[in-house]
Amino acid sequence: MSRSPSHLLGRPRLLAALTAAAGRAKADQTLIACQRGAQTTLRFANGRFHQTFYAESVDVWVKVACDGHVGVATTNAFSPEALRAAVEAAMAMARVGGRRTLAAVPAAPLARAVPPLATYVAETARRPIADTIQALHAVWQRTGRAGYALAGSFTAGEEELAVVGSKGLARYQPFTVAGVKLVATRGGASGYAAATSRDIAQLDLDAVADRAVRLARANAAPRDLRLGRPTGTSFGRYDVILEPEAVAELLEWLGYIAFGAKALAERTSPLAGRLGDRFMGEAISIHDDALHPDGLAVPFDYEGVPKQRVALIERGVAAGVVYDTAYGARYRQPSTGHGMPYDETEGPLPTHLTLAAGTTPRAGMERLLGDGLVISRFHYVNGLLDTRRALMTGLTRDGTFLVRRGKVVGAVKNLRFTQSVLEAFSRTAALSRERRLIADPGSGLGACLAPAMLLRDFTFTGKTQ
Amino acid sequence: MPTTKILALLQETIAGLTRAKVEYADARWERRRQESLIVQNGAVQHLAAAVSEGCALRARVHGAWGYAASSRLTGLRATAAHAVAMAKACALVHAEPVPFPAQPPQRGSYRTPLDVDPFIVPLPKKLDYLLWANQVLREHDAVKTATTSLEFYRTEKLFLSTEGSLIRQEIIESGASMEALAALDGEIQRRSYPMGNGVGVAQAGYEYVKSLDLVGQAPRVRREAVALLRAKECPAEVTTVILMPDQLALQLHESCGHPVELDRVLGQELSFAGGSFLDPSKRGRFRYGSRQVSITADATCPHGVGTFGYDDEGVPAQTTPIVREGLFVGYLSSRESAARVGLSSSGAMRADGWNAMPLVRMTNVNLEPGTTTLRDLIAGTRRGVLLATNRSWSIDDRRLNFQFGTEIGWEIRDGRLGAVLKNPVYTGITPAFWGSCRGVAGRDEWVLHGVPNCAKGEPVQIMHTGHGAAPALFTRVQIGRSHR
Repeated sequence: MSRSPSHLLGRPRLLAALTAAAGRAKADQTLIACQRGAQTTLRFANGRFHQTFYAESVDVWVKVACDGHVGVATTNAFSPEALRAAVEAAMAMARVGGRRTLAAVPAAPLARAVPPLATYVAETARRPIADTIQALHAVWQRTGRAGYALAGSFTAGEEELAVVGSKGLARYQPFTVAGVKLVATRGGASGYAAATSRDIAQLDLDAVADRAVRLARANAAPRDLRLGRPTGTSFGRYDVILEPEAVAELLEWLGYIAFGAKALAERTSPLAGRLGDRFMGEAISIHDDALHPDGLAVPFDYEGVPKQRVALIERGVAAGVVYDTAYGARYRQPSTGHGMPYDETEGPLPTHLTLAAGTTPRAGMERLLGDGLVISRFHYVNGLLDTRRALMTGLTRDGTFLVRRGKVVGAVKNLRFTQSVLEAFSRTAALSRERRLIADPGSGLGACLAPAMLLRDFTFTGKTQ
Repeated sequence: MPTTKILALLQETIAGLTRAKVEYADARWERRRQESLIVQNGAVQHLAAAVSEGCALRARVHGAWGYAASSRLTGLRATAAHAVAMAKACALVHAEPVPFPAQPPQRGSYRTPLDVDPFIVPLPKKLDYLLWANQVLREHDAVKTATTSLEFYRTEKLFLSTEGSLIRQEIIESGASMEALAALDGEIQRRSYPMGNGVGVAQAGYEYVKSLDLVGQAPRVRREAVALLRAKECPAEVTTVILMPDQLALQLHESCGHPVELDRVLGQELSFAGGSFLDPSKRGRFRYGSRQVSITADATCPHGVGTFGYDDEGVPAQTTPIVREGLFVGYLSSRESAARVGLSSSGAMRADGWNAMPLVRMTNVNLEPGTTTLRDLIAGTRRGVLLATNRSWSIDDRRLNFQFGTEIGWEIRDGRLGAVLKNPVYTGITPAFWGSCRGVAGRDEWVLHGVPNCAKGEPVQIMHTGHGAAPALFTRVQIGRSHR
């Protein structure tokens, strides 16, 4: 296969088409966002690619306001006729709701400039997929010779996001992303590792595979951990080191249930009515920072508002939530640049969470832990048990390790935790000084930057077989 | 573009792929129209119309797959070339091809049987209905957020293959939901109808929305949300549990539907969703549940959102026994995955749109009705709880250790329903839990629910799956937030 041509239209053509469509709308305000791109996904297991997937995509979202009433339409066609039809469909929706709607009108987007960001690496978009297929095959063969099978996925793609408004707003940004996820297995033991970057050249497949194999090797012959008696004082509680992948899973759930303005408005967030209260230890500072140089940077949201770095938890204290224009108007706050695609109904959400690093080298954390567990990763976390307490449950996966006197002494079978994450984070004993970028390259523009955490008295409530 | 012109483009593409001497290829065109209406606290919060259309091409060369999708229907030649090139590149590194059994050409069509096309019901009428239900839901000061919503989908599909299949389908789905969030002294409780965590959806017309009777159900939903604010916490103990169909839907989904997906069993989802404890050696031998438990994957079930005429690789819809009187007997499968374990496809390859590759997915995974009644199940319980409406769900990567939370529970004492319980949670190990099933209510109390948010695959696909069940009783279940 030859090098791939770019699928992107580019700034002038894309903005011109959207601006023309917005200009024809007979609405008080119009916003049009368009995300176009092409992505290749390779999924593999058992020594073969079972899914090889190339998709070109176009998504256009139109939001109009007429006499204070809002309508939304979406389409995946990009012709002038299709864009006109989408605008008319949005107008029709706004008119229908007109007699009764009180929905928030999108505020006039701010004229603030967006910072210049380098988010597009041509090599990521152009590298022939046949080269990647060969590279992955070489990695399988190498780990296979060591006795480990690999399953996983590889994704690479490019996309462009543009937002225009009837009042002169015009934003454009191109992106690339590439990522790999690998699970190494041998018998019943498994280990997981992943990497994501805007630059495909930064993905070191061998290093990712080696980490997955290392974890799988350590995860062999897991023992059954006794959780103690339900009435015992030490019932199910262990000091733990959570690796960044496990931390990111908890942070993402916190982002969903706690740090969006909709959860605040509906009072389901633990922060509702408690901004300014202390929730966690002083070591914990959580931000949403889409401009972080170590993250997957994004300069503006789907309403064209520049991304702001938002303090959510500042030294353990509830500091704020993220807003789009509608929720911002409701709370008399400016949008923080967290508007989502207009057909989303979950409200503004933080998609670039960061947890501040600590000062402890990761390599020294077992010694600080003493006796306890190292958790590589969580599986199927659910944070809806009691959102006001951020009570969550989930299981460990792909490596849970027992530590005795500061040394890993073996693997244990997967465990279920049920734990208030607010309480868990308030018992933080250490944060690693290193952080890892955790992102799913196939799922939008988000990412999480997390250190490893040492938490005291983490509650486990079950185990698997 | 009219469908006659689209059909001509697809035929031309399939002819081109045949000339290119691929082993097999198919073309799937889809156009989906969607309408969403949400009312919150008496105001219209969201009114949206969506349309999405495109074509997916799948080509098989030397036993390897290539897949490409595009919304540019006039550029299908390039899309086809991409699919073939990917297949060839993969074939170079595969040790040996996996069999893909041929099937006779399928020529047919399927259309959702319905009384009222939801897209011709005027939007103002739909909004009036939502506003009315919303008003009734808010008739108590403790209800701080009342949300009512409607959702409708029309999906048109054309499927052609190099085997000579030509299939047309039109699937219409209608959904509705309401939710009351009640708050008092920092406590917040939620009640939903007809399902928790999103819209309840059925493959039907607007008549389904009317049958749900949101306005008539709103006082009960409101009353229960408020009652939860002063309810007792669900105790932590091992006891008898009766699950209502709106919770059994999730129990079936997570602990039966997912582990019988044959692609998971074969390790193809290891890096994302995980594997399964139901390996092929267990089929026909493993006791999954008690003799009360018979579970069927039924893609022909009326009103099921997992119902269709043909799956997305042209296999006719089927009814597949999964568990029979407690014995594990069958899988959800595709043509290729079934062949790997010596079976024929159960017709469960489904994609969530034109821009997604079909995967083995649930259809309608149903617990067959039993012979008792809910009343008798309660009457026969000296001490236990009745739990309804899913709130949270979690299960391990092999689908064994699960924990579910429900919105509400009731004590059962000496054969009678007692006090309302808040924050119920129960947990167990899949075969032990289903093995403790001691009774399932009959056909009269059997309800089919639609789960509209099943995530699987990379990139993630969101599928609609159906789950029918009648109330069922389980013994020695750990409830509350305790140890297992």
